[in-house]
Amino acid sequence: MLTYIIRRLMLVPFLLFGVTILIFGMLQFLDPVERASLYVRGDPKANQIDAAIRKYCLDCPIHIQYFNWLVGKVDSTTGEREGGILFGNFGWSKTGSQPVADLIARRFPNTLDLTLWAVAPVILVGIWLGVQAAVHHNGVIDQAARVFSIIGTSFPTFVFGLLMLMFFYANLGWFPPGRLTDEFSRVVGSDEFIRYTTLLTIDSLLNGRFDIFLDALRHMFLPILTLSYISWATFLRVTRSSMLETLRQEYVTTARAKGLSENDVIYKHAQPNAMLPVVTLAGFQIVGLLGGVIITETVFDYPGIGSAAATASAQLDVITVLGFALFNGLILIVANLVVDILYAFVDPRVRLS
Amino acid sequence: MRKIFALLSLLVIASMALAACGAPAPAEAPAAEAPAAEAPAAEAPAAEEAAGFKSADPTTFVVATIGEPETLDPALAYETAGGEIIQNVYETLVFYDGEATDKFVPQLAESWEVSEDGKTYTFKMRSGVKFHDGADMTASDAAYSFQRGLLYGGYSGPQWLLAEPFFGIGVDDVSLLVDPEGAMADDSEALKAADPAALKAACEKVTGAIVADDAAGTVTMTLNQAWGPFIATIANGWGSILDKDWAVANGAWDGSCDTWQNFYAVPSENDPLTTVMNGTGAFKFDHWTQGEELVLARNDAYWRDPAKLERVVIKSIDEWGTRYAMLQAGDADQVAVPAESRSQVDEMVGEMSAYDLAAGAYAEPQVVCAYDGGMQGVEKFTACAGGEAGTGGPIRLYIGRPSLASQDLFMTFNISETSNYVGSGKLDGNGIPLDFFSDIHVRKGFAYSFDWETYISDVFDGEAIQQPVLARQGMAGYQADAPVYSLDLEKAAEEFKMADLDKDGIAAGEDPEGDLWTIGFRLQALYNQGNTSRQIISEILSANLATVNELFVVETVGLPWPTFLRTLRASEAPYFASGWVEDIHDPHNWYQPYMIGTYAFRQTMPAELRAQFSEILDRGVAVTDLAERQKIYEEANALYYEQVPTVLLATATSHGFEQRWVHGAILNPIFSGNYFYTMYKD
Repeated sequence: MLTYIIRRLMLVPFLLFGVTILIFGMLQFLDPVERASLYVRGDPKANQIDAAIRKYCLDCPIHIQYFNWLVGKVDSTTGEREGGILFGNFGWSKTGSQPVADLIARRFPNTLDLTLWAVAPVILVGIWLGVQAAVHHNGVIDQAARVFSIIGTSFPTFVFGLLMLMFFYANLGWFPPGRLTDEFSRVVGSDEFIRYTTLLTIDSLLNGRFDIFLDALRHMFLPILTLSYISWATFLRVTRSSMLETLRQEYVTTARAKGLSENDVIYKHAQPNAMLPVVTLAGFQIVGLLGGVIITETVFDYPGIGSAAATASAQLDVITVLGFALFNGLILIVANLVVDILYAFVDPRVRLS
Repeated sequence: MRKIFALLSLLVIASMALAACGAPAPAEAPAAEAPAAEAPAAEAPAAEEAAGFKSADPTTFVVATIGEPETLDPALAYETAGGEIIQNVYETLVFYDGEATDKFVPQLAESWEVSEDGKTYTFKMRSGVKFHDGADMTASDAAYSFQRGLLYGGYSGPQWLLAEPFFGIGVDDVSLLVDPEGAMADDSEALKAADPAALKAACEKVTGAIVADDAAGTVTMTLNQAWGPFIATIANGWGSILDKDWAVANGAWDGSCDTWQNFYAVPSENDPLTTVMNGTGAFKFDHWTQGEELVLARNDAYWRDPAKLERVVIKSIDEWGTRYAMLQAGDADQVAVPAESRSQVDEMVGEMSAYDLAAGAYAEPQVVCAYDGGMQGVEKFTACAGGEAGTGGPIRLYIGRPSLASQDLFMTFNISETSNYVGSGKLDGNGIPLDFFSDIHVRKGFAYSFDWETYISDVFDGEAIQQPVLARQGMAGYQADAPVYSLDLEKAAEEFKMADLDKDGIAAGEDPEGDLWTIGFRLQALYNQGNTSRQIISEILSANLATVNELFVVETVGLPWPTFLRTLRASEAPYFASGWVEDIHDPHNWYQPYMIGTYAFRQTMPAELRAQFSEILDRGVAVTDLAERQKIYEEANALYYEQVPTVLLATATSHGFEQRWVHGAILNPIFSGNYFYTMYKD
């Protein structure tokens, strides 16, 4: 088990290297002038372009550029480091009006918060639907669950999101977009509200402000509903087919033959084994959520990573987009690591191999 | 200017909507309604007002919009999103008088005097005014603010507007005092390396021109020459007064002539005042969470009565569907409405105010009884006859006022040799010579081939007017009845026949060796992809020119935005549609770029023509007498019409929405967005 985890951990630096090479490679599709214009605000003058090319060594051999990009350059007069993604300097975000790293640091907790509360409805409900469909194979529940979830998958996210927004917010006024109502965001912005974790829901509970906690959940309801509905079909199908396959295994028949109750057969014997492909899928889903859900966050004006990335892409803010891509790469690697380790716990074959 | 240029398309697409307070809240209303119900029948509108349209939170004004400020520093801000915040947090020496764009009232100055020769302005500062951090405002603060702005310079911001009056016509940046050739313009690194003595001299010119006397409470500004629009120039955001001590403490220029070069043309991300504010205005800057919201809070220690609104929340929401939902739910009082989504909000209109072009003002609001989406412009709405109840929609519409921006058609006199858009580059029927548009008859032929009616109907959905002259209504030079070009294909043919492109002295129509009329031409008209209005302009011309003569071929080509911009700057486009948004409501701000400045350069207008314009404009800008200025700019109008370097197209008219419970908005077209001080909600 331990060797397996260590082996996986040792892979991480290589993966990180691969990600940086990939992102850096993408940058190289732009010629030096275009890359220099990324460092100059507005409509650059020719002399500023040349200065930026010199300063950032944009016409140097590619390995030197890569090195500069990784560790940056120290200004000999001021002693300040410019650039260097290893030091968290992803550059200046034109669309965010702040360094990309700050933008990520401010937006990511919101995305994490959303993920935290979305995991249960998205994954657990999806799995539950799949199990029910398999257990009632070809019955009314099976058919209904399938139709219901397929409708969800067929809906473009923004259409479904906007429909939900029009119905639950514009008409009923129940679930507003955004992060918090103005009244509470004043409290959160004040000194009396202590940010222990940067996660708003957790912090509001730690501060004993149950009203803020509820308000935050109220704002997250529609994004979570939208995310859930559009992902349920995937979970349902994977769980259902895996479950059906497991239920046909001989050991399940044996369990039934021993006289176990049907519930024990399904939930204690069959389900754990049917969960293996679902764990993989759930891992990807969580990575997707952590990377920011662009359309959902944009429609519901949720200030997470996704909506910031959408704004940056729409305005061709290359520096910000690359910063986000790099960050997403990191998340993917870390999350994959966690999923692999989880796998080892769930599946003895993995840890014994 | 580049920013302003890019902004035009945005302005055309987006119109502001003042909107909605959803919560119909009938349960809360009865008490307030009671007296209204007893009011005499004649006061029916008042009764209706009391009956509905009440905001759930009348103390907070919420705007849901797109586009965030680039900076909150008044010396650098040059776009409307930042301008709106600056206009409410900072204050200027003088300010616009209500909705007038050309009348001014004292604000932070109590009064001002102008010397006989029109070159010296003395402002008497208002006493007892405090900045938001509690410090007293002094004459030194005012002098510092203007000095800092001028020394900040650079072409990313508005400082060129102030540089010209102080340094001389054409000297539009402080760096030109150090190097008149302009090699250091916008280049802070080059400026820092300049001769220290020259740097110091430039700075001392600035500090010598703007002098504070704290004991007397006056600021004296000495101009390089008389400048008609000087008061108009300093009434806008870039004339805002900062607290010197606060600015220095925050890392802005320290007031010394030895260090100013370190603060020249600093980009917004390195400007210490980009995200902090400390003004004297009716609202204090509360916070700005980039990408999310910017919040202003009422200044209770304001030197006039405090504002009625307690809080202003400006939310940045990219998705129109979300903004629309906020409008319907009543959580947004004003939302940015893209032109293509206007009809969605039109259906919610219950009251409208149409602009009276002759009177130059909006008419009294009328209750709307019917809406017909099949019509165009104001015709969509039917006003109620007396006594009718109306649709009851929650929105008030303001419609029909010409904007202070326009998009026109510029012809390039001498197209750059590097151009790929001139076909063969010769008069052989398969291209155009590079000096194609230098022939006045070609320019006139193009002007007579444009169809304003189709353009206004297709691009603006009928909501635009043909612009008669460069000056806008309410400024010297405006002539509603000036001669204009109109679609006339016969006249176009006549003009093309009079052209002489092979320069043999024989008009094209009679040239036996062949000329434009018998050989024809082919050129490529450019637009940036996605900009349908530019595309339609060229398609109209293309169709009409082909009718005039089937040998005339205009191909419409879409380019990505950066490429399009580059071709414009390099004078590679045979002709181009581009725009201008005015900075100050003064003819100089229109005539200068079109006749001798930005566009004249991009069009490579011949020096002798520019000299002719320049002579008129130099006279126009120095005069303060309105009648005399009118005469001078009428001269310019006549010459511009005769020479037609540019076909003046159309100016969009307003289509703005306001919630019926929102009151007190000053609809001054020169404002950057709202002036919240006078606004309130029921």
